[in-house]
Amino acid sequence: MDILSICQWLDSTRLNAAMRMSTWFFPTFDTIHTLGIVLVAGTIMLVDLRLLGLALPSESVAAVVRRIVPATLWGFALMFVSGALLFTSEAVKLYHSPAFRIKLALLALAGLNALIFHLTIYRDVAHWDQAAPAPLRARLAGLLSLAFWIAIIAAGRAIAYGSGYDLG
Amino acid sequence: MMAFSLLPVFEWMESTPIGQTIRQSASLIALVETVHLIGMTLLLGTLLMVDLSLLGLGIGRAPAARIARELRGWTVAGLAIMLTSGPLMLSSEAVRCYNSPAFWIKMALLAVAVTFHFTVHRKVVAQEPPVQRLSAEWTACLSLGLWTSVALAGKAIAIFQPN
Repeated sequence: MDILSICQWLDSTRLNAAMRMSTWFFPTFDTIHTLGIVLVAGTIMLVDLRLLGLALPSESVAAVVRRIVPATLWGFALMFVSGALLFTSEAVKLYHSPAFRIKLALLALAGLNALIFHLTIYRDVAHWDQAAPAPLRARLAGLLSLAFWIAIIAAGRAIAYGSGYDLG
Repeated sequence: MMAFSLLPVFEWMESTPIGQTIRQSASLIALVETVHLIGMTLLLGTLLMVDLSLLGLGIGRAPAARIARELRGWTVAGLAIMLTSGPLMLSSEAVRCYNSPAFWIKMALLAVAVTFHFTVHRKVVAQEPPVQRLSAEWTACLSLGLWTSVALAGKAIAIFQPN
């Protein structure tokens, strides 16, 4: 069973029909999705800017990460659940949207970047906790993260306005 | 009855080359919206951090005043990006916005939020030693509530089609 047939099956479910019949479904979950992304990107950007030495220079990196990551995870939960529901409401349409595929790829890259950061250089954060800017590899992770999240926001807008996807 | 109407101003905005150019290009609209969202991300992300500090949920023991000082540049940058991209979005559909209650509600909320931010909020945040818990908490909740309302009203402009 390939991905397209999964999307076709999703589009044929009763849940999908109920979502498309509802006037309120799309605006509500689109709003939750946007707020979720703003929360994720807005909190992650603070960590990125701290790593680059461009914000919060007096605070230790570990303290910033400890405070911010729970908010990021809440934002991610909002974004993921609303995103999955929005996808279910128009799966085949999104399957054919290049911007949607790019957005998924960017999300995977942003996640991979965060994972590598946490598993490698962040492990001995104790050694560079107070440094502003942080060591080169941490700065690189921060810079990549900023770029990925800006691109994710742009890809999201491109889904709405781009080719292969018609708002009407 | 109003003594004068702002409608001609909105019609003029929409007739400008900038308004017409953005209006006719889906990619330009998407680009300006992206910039607007990035500004919102900076503004809300930094304000969330400052308001969490006021609520006693800040970074370590750092006072809200220091957090705010070390983020102020980005808060102002976020606001500046929004106040630049916002009018560009407006110019592409000014007459529709003029007829949209959500647009006027957003402008009113924005005026309140900006005024609150640069008066009460700034004063409470800057106070060292920190002010009483209660007024700090009220200030943080009002700040978060006001800015979230501005964002929701912005979304409502796109959702509700004016008659």
